[in-house]
Amino acid sequence: MRSSPPDEGSERRESCPVFGLAILCLLSVFAAPLMLTAADVSFSNDVRPILEQKCLECHGTDTPMSNLDLRTREGMLKGGVRGAAVIPGDSSESRIYLQISGMEGPVMPMGGALSDDEILTLKDWIDQGARWDVDRIGEGAQSAKAADTKAREKSQKISADDRNWWAFQPPVRHAKPKVADKRWNRNPVDAFIKAKLDEEGLVPAPRADKRALIRRAYLDLLGLLPSPSEVEAFVNDKSRNAFKNLVDRLLESPRYGERWGRHWLDVARYADSGGYEHDYDYPYAWRYRDYVIQAFNDDKPYDQFVREQLAGDELDEVTFETLIATGFNRVGPTVGFREKDNPQYRYTYLDDMIGTTSRAFMGLTVNCARCHDHKFDPILQTDYYEMMATFFSFVNYEYPLASPEEVAAYEARKSEMEEKIAPLKERISEIEAPYKDEAFEKRLKDFPEEIQHAVHTPEAERTPGQKLLAEQVITLRARAEDVQELLTEADKEEVAKIKTEIEKLEKQTPEDLPRAMGISDGDYRFAPDGRGDEKLPGKGDREDFGVTEGSFLPVAGKPFVPPKAFLLPGGDYRTKGEEVQPGFLTVLARGDEPTQIPPSSGRVSTGRRRALAEWIISEDHPLTARVMVNRTWHFHFGRGIVTTPSNFGRTGQPPVYPKLLDWLTTEFVRSGWSIKAMHRSIMNTEAYQMASSFPHEANQKADPSGKFLWRFPQRRLEAETIRDLVLNVSGNLNFEAGGKPFFPPIPKSVRLSFNKGEWTLTEEGPDVWRRSVYSYWKRGLKYPMFEVFDQPDPNVTCERRASTTVPTQALTLLNNEFFLLQAKHFADRVAEKAGDDEKARVGAAYAIALSRPPTAKELDMNLSFLASQKRYHEGRDDEAPQLAALVDLCDVVLNLSEFIYIN
Amino acid sequence: MPENREQNPLSRLCSGRKKRFMSRRDFLFEAGEGVSGVALAALMAQEGLLAASPLSDGSACGMSGEIQSPLAPRNSHFEPRAKAVISLFMSGGVSHVDTFDPKPMLTKYHGQPLTGKGRVRVRQGYPGPLMKSPFEFKKHGQSGIEVSELFPHIGGIVDDLAIIRSGKGRSNDHVVAHYEWNTGSLLMGFPSVGSWVTYGLGSENQNLPGFVVVYDHRGGPFSGPANWGAGFLPAAYQGTVFRSSGDPILDLRPPEKYVSAEQQRSRLDHLAMLNEEHAKKYPGSSELAARIASYELAYRMQACAPEAVDMSKESEATKRTYGMDDPTTEPFGKQCLLARRLVERGVRFVQLYNGAIVNQNTDTWDAHSNLVENHTMHSREVDKPIAGLIQDLKQRGMLDDTLVVWHSEFGRMPISQRGVGRDHNPGALTLWMAGAGIQGGQVIGSTDEFGYKAAEQVVTYYDVHATLLHMLGLDHKKLTYFFNGRHMRLTDVHGELIPQIVA
Repeated sequence: MRSSPPDEGSERRESCPVFGLAILCLLSVFAAPLMLTAADVSFSNDVRPILEQKCLECHGTDTPMSNLDLRTREGMLKGGVRGAAVIPGDSSESRIYLQISGMEGPVMPMGGALSDDEILTLKDWIDQGARWDVDRIGEGAQSAKAADTKAREKSQKISADDRNWWAFQPPVRHAKPKVADKRWNRNPVDAFIKAKLDEEGLVPAPRADKRALIRRAYLDLLGLLPSPSEVEAFVNDKSRNAFKNLVDRLLESPRYGERWGRHWLDVARYADSGGYEHDYDYPYAWRYRDYVIQAFNDDKPYDQFVREQLAGDELDEVTFETLIATGFNRVGPTVGFREKDNPQYRYTYLDDMIGTTSRAFMGLTVNCARCHDHKFDPILQTDYYEMMATFFSFVNYEYPLASPEEVAAYEARKSEMEEKIAPLKERISEIEAPYKDEAFEKRLKDFPEEIQHAVHTPEAERTPGQKLLAEQVITLRARAEDVQELLTEADKEEVAKIKTEIEKLEKQTPEDLPRAMGISDGDYRFAPDGRGDEKLPGKGDREDFGVTEGSFLPVAGKPFVPPKAFLLPGGDYRTKGEEVQPGFLTVLARGDEPTQIPPSSGRVSTGRRRALAEWIISEDHPLTARVMVNRTWHFHFGRGIVTTPSNFGRTGQPPVYPKLLDWLTTEFVRSGWSIKAMHRSIMNTEAYQMASSFPHEANQKADPSGKFLWRFPQRRLEAETIRDLVLNVSGNLNFEAGGKPFFPPIPKSVRLSFNKGEWTLTEEGPDVWRRSVYSYWKRGLKYPMFEVFDQPDPNVTCERRASTTVPTQALTLLNNEFFLLQAKHFADRVAEKAGDDEKARVGAAYAIALSRPPTAKELDMNLSFLASQKRYHEGRDDEAPQLAALVDLCDVVLNLSEFIYIN
Repeated sequence: MPENREQNPLSRLCSGRKKRFMSRRDFLFEAGEGVSGVALAALMAQEGLLAASPLSDGSACGMSGEIQSPLAPRNSHFEPRAKAVISLFMSGGVSHVDTFDPKPMLTKYHGQPLTGKGRVRVRQGYPGPLMKSPFEFKKHGQSGIEVSELFPHIGGIVDDLAIIRSGKGRSNDHVVAHYEWNTGSLLMGFPSVGSWVTYGLGSENQNLPGFVVVYDHRGGPFSGPANWGAGFLPAAYQGTVFRSSGDPILDLRPPEKYVSAEQQRSRLDHLAMLNEEHAKKYPGSSELAARIASYELAYRMQACAPEAVDMSKESEATKRTYGMDDPTTEPFGKQCLLARRLVERGVRFVQLYNGAIVNQNTDTWDAHSNLVENHTMHSREVDKPIAGLIQDLKQRGMLDDTLVVWHSEFGRMPISQRGVGRDHNPGALTLWMAGAGIQGGQVIGSTDEFGYKAAEQVVTYYDVHATLLHMLGLDHKKLTYFFNGRHMRLTDVHGELIPQIVA
């Protein structure tokens, strides 16, 4: 702890690792050796190892840094953007020598230096004619052999059985089976299902009635209810294409993205705060949420959606939108406090990125291989770390969403203000300095005699124990308020005056630019200090990276060397194994895919994540499209063809309809990865339009869970949709879309159970009656109604929500003020629409909330309920007893199973 | 709770004086009115059928055809020793060397640096020299176990306690250490012990939640609801907070201006009829039946939860046992008495907190800068109530099948923090267990000579969790939940039973 020096600067100078100083050091070292005569230098024995170990990482690929390829003599002579690297026989004109020796910048290699011997070796070799004794290095015999062996070893760990796993086979476009039932023979989706039903001896349910159908389509695609007039129009639309047209119309609604975007946000483990102790606010996270909603509304091709989220900053064309998309990697849980003292946090975040990326896009649990090879699936520990290497150069970055000119102007103005404020603050310190000793003495009096004594004992005379005590207390320094008290009136006045001036200047400091929460390539070791990172005496266990050259973000025009990633044999960051390079899953990769695709835009970035994205969305990747098709199916039917949507491995469930899944997958890719096309393929089928109610004893007995889809699976709606529907029927839903999240009202006592981070206490009213997708998702404190209705924990990616039935849900719907209040508004709306006639009222309530008229029996039951409730209210002298009875009825309607289920 | 509220007609069913709790059949028998066919069947099914069904390693959606009530009672793996657990969590870090782990060497070497233990890592600032305890230790009971003057009452019942002096955690961060001891993970978002227990065993009493949390009257502990979250388990297994004032459960009853109790009953009856009409279209849907039943259960909870927290019928003597006659001990005394009442009514897992992060330095046990004041205040708050709880449980014959666990998230350093406090120490902490037939008056494990690190028979939170599940008749290796491709366990791949406890 005490190893961290009080004055960083002095230490730096001794070892001269600072960029500029390094050059001076090198030059001074060189003065003498230059005069020696060199012995003959061998390329293979002396030069090649240096090049391979120190240079080829950046200058040994097909897209080398600065376009300089050092793998061949031709490459060297041709040189890169700065011209020839080597002039045989003349080291003093050779760029390589000038830059490795530091005579010209930038000094090479980036992030390290060659030893004196190495520099001399290269110099002599150039002066002796720069002769090569092989054609090519880097991929030459030695390293290629090593790489081959490694690849073979990895590959051997994967058995034929592993490779034959169903999910790793390319999807096949199976021919549509022919089924006897004409209605079910019209499209492949139906035919695949009906063929299976026939085989199993199951009878499909008849088509649902039109009211049920339009309600289902609305709930499914928009998470909202059709208005009674929309229902009637649909019922009266006798055209063949009525349902198809309805689906088309719903897919055009901006409400669609709010519904399906929310599904994706579950997968993306989205929240508006970081969780852990402080649960810090993520002030820009909502832009990612809005991006997702917009992507669904725009039917952004899914491959592009994946590409932007993984590597929106590394595309050839980077826009604000694609930068915002990289928020996908950021919206998971983070501590955000004393990160630099806790280097293990970063590995937790990397694990989160690996886990989320592999489960969300590929349906594989790669993060099971962090400490050992996967126990069930052919995923090697090296696969995990190669994926980690892909992400390893990430840094958190809040991209300003403004033009370069605006950013420059903002930065200039900000530093101008800072420059004005700094001397003023200095001046205050100067005034206060003479009082500090006295103030400290005052503070010292709070401590036991023993401590005071230790501090007052001259340093040299302190016992070892006293030394420790004194050190602990001296670091406390004087209290600001004690200093203030001691100031003379004149000094006090002056300090106050300066403070007013500072305040004035602070007011002139420009407001921050709008920003996106994203990631960039960079070097985390140079990250600016975050919360709790300030260096205080004696604080923390900050890792000494031992690097001094480099920068937080890549610098335009300069090669960027990402920090090295290492395999961690037991998953512990402190025990580093061998260095790892980016790579893809052994069982799936061909082996020759590029592992970095630097952007052609000129933006400096390794392009590693871009390469990962391109591999994931390549058309021969057997999982990506399948997984998304299955997710889509899952959200339509409440269960996937594979019922474990983020796990297509051996511990997941096999598909119930493998050929159907394959057919849809090929269709998805053919359609240009259009999710809306998938909706159409799935919804415009007999299978989707079956009734949910179909009492059939034989079916029930043969397939009680309905996994073969002999009827439409009824299911409870999600927490957010239930809340939205209630606002929908009360007529209070505020459709304000996008922007900062709102805080739904909670009692203060709930807030006090976790009084950290953001939460504004609000009242019921139109401002907070927006759609639930725009509510604040706080990791440390959930909105109670959402929590009780199975809102998933946003700390890990969620493949599907639980759907439990517990009494506390009933308590919430029955007693929570939100529901009682909306029931009143619902009743007002019904009364306004239906007038005083009780029959009309029941009819209107049913039409609004259930999209259908009541049955005769229900009508009777409701009329007698209204009558008895009216009598009850009359008996209590309640005002407006008829309306009060209607409120009772409307409240009951909001509690109906039918209301909160998709049927 | 406000007295003027209309009485729920079912409230008479809630007082389980003779029996530990009401069975559903009792309820149906006595309640009669308002419970209709489908709901009745569902209620019966929960008791009759589901109690016998084996624990399924289900996953989120439970597409198993027959949808169980997540809280229906389930059989344990083997004969349990305890039916219920009361967890007493002292939030902020109790100093073991000032409470249950006397260290004469600290007095001897007071003021000298701690050496020979490698690099001493502290949370704040620089390490100080060794510091003797400002508190006196005294031998108590037949066992003669030493307890400091901070806990005279707990000292009085020391022969009922199995004191584990060799507890060990991993993190010196309050929040992470809370996660460790409550969920077995250093990361946020894992299910808490109470959630695992409720998942494993269901709830004995459907009229009350199976897992109840009562936090400090000043506010929630470090990391708040994550301590009793269900993580990846279904939300049904999360802890329900019982509040110290007003209705015990959030949304237990409607605000009066909206609806009267009578009015609500008629709404419920009408709702049940309409829901049954709807359910007829879906024969075989146990989910719809369970939903109808859930309204009846909610209605009963409205009566039974206030009854459970209503202490007016407790004798003055009992209240005094819990220290409810003294403003210092009253709040935690109430929490402890409530714990007994809940366990009495079949609640499976009750967790009480002392320590709130409203003002971390004073409201929690986090004695960095004021060891004497801080620990004196907090020990006074809990000492008598805890001793009272044990005595009361014992007297009522409930201690035999109730496991009481007392602990904190970490111990504190044997070295001084500026002469006035002690820093965090995850390397050593003391915890104790009582009840469930555990041999009292024993000390398990030990720390090194200064209390810096657990030394003999190191006990981790995995071991404590494994042992706790074992006492409830659950095998920690078999209690699994399939999530993200793995059969997840409370104890991950660790956990050894503490032999002296399970003996």
